[in-house]
Amino acid sequence: MSTEYVNQPFTDLATAARQLTQAVSVLSDAASVLQPPPLDSCEWHEQLRQKLLPQLGTEAWLVAAVVGGTNIGKSVVFNHLAGGRASSTSPLASGTKHPVCLVPDGFTERQDLKRVFPDFDLSEWSDADDALRETTNHELFWRTSSDLPSTLLVLDTPDIDSDVRVNWVRADAIRRSADVLIAVLTQQKYNDAAVKEFFRKAADEDKAVLVVFNQCLLPDDEEFWPVWLETFCRETGITPESVYLAPADRTAAEELRLPFFERVWPVTADGPPQPVGQPRNLRADLSSLRFHEIRVRTLRGSVRELLSNDHGVPSWMQLLHNASEDLKATSERLSSDAVLKIRDWPVPPASLFVAEIRTWWKSRQQGWARRINRLYDKVGAGVLWPVKVARNAIQGEPIEPLVQYREREWSAILTTIEELFDKLQWMAESGNQMIRPRIELVLQGVSRTQLIETLRRRHLAVDFRLELNEVVHQEMERFSVDSPELFTFYRQLNHVSAVVRPMTSVVLFSLGFGPAGETVAPFVADAAANAVVHVVADVAGGAAAAVAGDTAVGTAGKGASMLQAWFHNLNGRYTERRVNWLTDLIRREMLGTLPEDLQRASSISDSVEWKNVSESLAHIESLLQETHE
Amino acid sequence: MKPPSSSSVASEPCNTLPGRMITSSGASGSLEHIALLARIDDLTGRLTHWVDDSLPWGPARRARSLVARLLERVDAVRFRLESPLVVATFGGTGTGKSSLVNALVGEEVSRSGRQRPTTTEPVLLIHPDLEPETLGLDLTLFSIRKVDSPLLRDIALIDCPDPDTTEAAVAGSNLTMLRDLLPHSDVLIYTSTQQKYRSARIVEELSEAASGCRLVFVQTHADLDQDIREDWKNCLAQDYEVPEMFFVNSREAFADRQEGHSPRGEFARLVRLLSEQLDTSRRVEIRRANLIELLQEVLVECRLVYDSAMPDVHELQEALEAQRQEVTKSLTDQLTQELLQNRNLWERRLITAITDRWGFSPFSSMLRLYNGLGALIASFTLFRARTSAQMAIVGAVQSARWMKTRVEEQDSESRLDRLASFGISDQQLQESRVVISGYLNSSQIELESSSHSGELAALRRTAADLEGEFLGDARRAVDTVVDDVVNGRSGLLRRTFYELLSLAYLAFLLGRIGYNFFWSSFLAPVLGRVTEPEPLMTVDFYIPALLFLVIWSVVLVVMFTAGLRRGLDRHVRGLAESMAGSRLMHGLFPSLDEVCHSIEADNQALSQLLDDTRSFRRSLAGVSSAFGGRRE
Repeated sequence: MSTEYVNQPFTDLATAARQLTQAVSVLSDAASVLQPPPLDSCEWHEQLRQKLLPQLGTEAWLVAAVVGGTNIGKSVVFNHLAGGRASSTSPLASGTKHPVCLVPDGFTERQDLKRVFPDFDLSEWSDADDALRETTNHELFWRTSSDLPSTLLVLDTPDIDSDVRVNWVRADAIRRSADVLIAVLTQQKYNDAAVKEFFRKAADEDKAVLVVFNQCLLPDDEEFWPVWLETFCRETGITPESVYLAPADRTAAEELRLPFFERVWPVTADGPPQPVGQPRNLRADLSSLRFHEIRVRTLRGSVRELLSNDHGVPSWMQLLHNASEDLKATSERLSSDAVLKIRDWPVPPASLFVAEIRTWWKSRQQGWARRINRLYDKVGAGVLWPVKVARNAIQGEPIEPLVQYREREWSAILTTIEELFDKLQWMAESGNQMIRPRIELVLQGVSRTQLIETLRRRHLAVDFRLELNEVVHQEMERFSVDSPELFTFYRQLNHVSAVVRPMTSVVLFSLGFGPAGETVAPFVADAAANAVVHVVADVAGGAAAAVAGDTAVGTAGKGASMLQAWFHNLNGRYTERRVNWLTDLIRREMLGTLPEDLQRASSISDSVEWKNVSESLAHIESLLQETHE
Repeated sequence: MKPPSSSSVASEPCNTLPGRMITSSGASGSLEHIALLARIDDLTGRLTHWVDDSLPWGPARRARSLVARLLERVDAVRFRLESPLVVATFGGTGTGKSSLVNALVGEEVSRSGRQRPTTTEPVLLIHPDLEPETLGLDLTLFSIRKVDSPLLRDIALIDCPDPDTTEAAVAGSNLTMLRDLLPHSDVLIYTSTQQKYRSARIVEELSEAASGCRLVFVQTHADLDQDIREDWKNCLAQDYEVPEMFFVNSREAFADRQEGHSPRGEFARLVRLLSEQLDTSRRVEIRRANLIELLQEVLVECRLVYDSAMPDVHELQEALEAQRQEVTKSLTDQLTQELLQNRNLWERRLITAITDRWGFSPFSSMLRLYNGLGALIASFTLFRARTSAQMAIVGAVQSARWMKTRVEEQDSESRLDRLASFGISDQQLQESRVVISGYLNSSQIELESSSHSGELAALRRTAADLEGEFLGDARRAVDTVVDDVVNGRSGLLRRTFYELLSLAYLAFLLGRIGYNFFWSSFLAPVLGRVTEPEPLMTVDFYIPALLFLVIWSVVLVVMFTAGLRRGLDRHVRGLAESMAGSRLMHGLFPSLDEVCHSIEADNQALSQLLDDTRSFRRSLAGVSSAFGGRRE
């Protein structure tokens, strides 16, 4: 045999095929949210794995397989090819469960059979009944045959239409590896849906097909077979290399002396009736096929299938792309709702801020001023003690403001997550099937209970005094640097804080589905995938300056209004910090990687993985062109 | 062949009204027959009732629409219960359906051939005497042939197209045609060959077609093929009842007919089966068996739908129960705490109970006095605190006035505020709502959100009702505790002891005063026993005497109340325990509880229907054992 199939384009194709396999598996993983059809259910992927990877760029051999429906004499035909009872025959249907392979002498030394049939567990043939074994794994029994050309493998395969579906899987695997199919047909089955489906695939892959009409009633059927074959070819797209008729002769079949009469196809309309002729030797006919041509043809056929827009990789990518677009559209639709508004986030009482600011102030004092202040504090506390005791006795122990605040914050958190759940619920209902299962997982009763428990635990663990302390210190440091008004401020502290009313803060945060909608823009335009918190200071009464927030403070405004604004700002900072804390927790404990996953999936066609596959495909296409030159 | 039946065929077409159906069969059949028909009517009636009884639950709705569709078909069958049976052929292309039909009627009525598929239009074969309209079939689907064959006296025969040459069921394809036809047939003759008996397509299509049908299994091509009936039977045995299989050579049988020979061998047996087992007297039996089988199949499907959805409902129920327990627990905890804190209220309540029991006596007066003073002081605190738990202790009579205001406040805000001091907090309500709506979603219960959780205000009202219910229980429990304590502490011995002690001082005082008043200051000087009358005792005496009376009373009352208090803790804890164990009548989500209960009941109802259908089917088993059918 010539070594022409090992020529450059094919060797390159082999490398490219390996790259493609790698690239699609990476892409498939990356796109898991889009629920792509599993790779091993894609015909092109199996083609790649079972035909192209084992056969591209290697020494050429030809795989010929006897295929057809159940109980129509596949094994009989195979035994004729084998020249002996290599595969058991039985009057009962779907007897052959595993393929049997005839391997030319010396083939196994040159090639690894496991590589040729990657899906099968190989064992050496010992008995014709091997193929009838009922096992769940795919087995393939091989025996060497000295009568075969050194590069021809002949197989008997399980059926393609019985209720034993695993047989179909095995037959499909053999079909993909095969170059030549010996299609056994009968008048009952040539037009069966399952049979036609099988051979349509074979035609798409450009297999060489020899048709054997078995169990013909000769000579009565002479006038019918061209009609049958015409239907078969029209329905499947197959152009047979040659056509044989075998009579319905059970005895001859069992004694392996079934005659195969060759017929000319296509039949010319006005041509003379074809002579009955001498029976042909199937094996000899098979051996005289032009191996090289067929091999190149089927390899090209498989590569073409791989590149096919209808059922190749591009179609799979198109599926992904559509799903991704769909997801993107849904995400965009949902994104305006992915922003959560919390209206009544509580703010600690102003007195706490004031107390904290005073503490900070004291920590800045030095020398005698500090000592005097301390003394005053002590004296003050001493004087107030009896008053305090009396008040406690009458009104009961007052509730610590921070404890009260904690309660209120917990209420706000509950309201928030409740709203969040409602929102997610709505998204699950109006989203598509890619989003729904993920969200529904979060929405289950059990996960809700867990979430509340986690949040409660974490919330109880928060040290509010520390939070307050950190915010106040940070802001005061900044203020002391920015503003010379510090002392004025301190003097007016009580006055200012009395004027400032409790703020109604509107907090926005995005769940991160798709680009955060216009609602939050421009604050979050750049951070699409992140939960973004923005506190909008919406002041309940009066103090217009407060709305100006940072700006008013920054541009060195004067007097009380500036200080009020600053105080509002302080409240805002604090709220922002708390909501950030909650958002982080919610993302970690509840949403997980959901927003990122959706984000990534909705832009899959921009990803590196996608590009790799596209490039790999383009490369293969150009290599395929080269093989034609 | 049963000649007498021809007259009945002719007379029957008019019996098409369901109402007359029963009377006519009553005239021809026995009482048992009527009873069976009534049983079917009863069953379908119950099913109709079940379908009409809707539930706001996804699976229930799905199951009901399944049954509703079936009921339509049932009606159609009932309509033609006694018209000739419709026998259809079923089998892969090339398995000789048409040849068999031709052989059966003895005439080339359906084209048979070597080209696949041969039959593309279904052929309906009927006896010339029969009006095809009475069959209840859509006659536009067929080409109708009237053949005067003895076999057709009792049945209508349809030669169907094949199910296996079509790859996808598009309009006009053989497969679509077949699927339109099969639901109308009562008996299927399933033909197969050595090549085709394991074809996946056929096996799958059969499992659709065989529901509500009797089956006859025929292996054809006896002239060419080997006998595979044993293997075929094994393949079918798991899903079907396979009584007998026929192995026939249609071509030979047809030739026999043409030459006027009577049928031979297996074919003769097949003809006998078709003519003897499908005659007029069997029609109702076969249709009834088909009907019940259909009902059972659909109900089994409903059962599956329910079974897959019930775990979620159970989870919801468990969650509701958990919420209820949590509510009970937090209420109990608060109650216990308050009961333990309000010792003086307890005391007052107990003393009142005891004095009521003892009536008027020195010691009881002491107690009354003490209690009255206590009540005066407590009334201030009561006005301020007035928690529900305190009311529970104070008891029904004393709290009457307070209760009145409470009722007035029923829906007002102040009452809701009160919830914060005792009862279920808003946070707790919110948490419950978040969790329950999670379970609710997965349970597929379709409730308007306002009716189950809705506004917090509504939830609060429910919570207040719950609390009311709980406190009602608590009050009764407190009453029992009070009775227990009073019973233990107001025994005759103890009473005598305290009465004697209080009397002792009074007696001493009276003696002392009497002696001074009557004797030493008056009688003794008059009688001359003493010369100088002692002066009457002055305030100097009465002040200490009164003081000591007070002290003595206080000592006694304190002793007594200390005794009362002893063991009170134990009682309160016992009470708390019994309250914790008690189950509230309602939960926070009463409408959900209700829906869950109706689902549970509906589930039972479905099981009952299925059981009844199953036992009905079993009782019919054997009636048509000559035919195959789908297994249960």
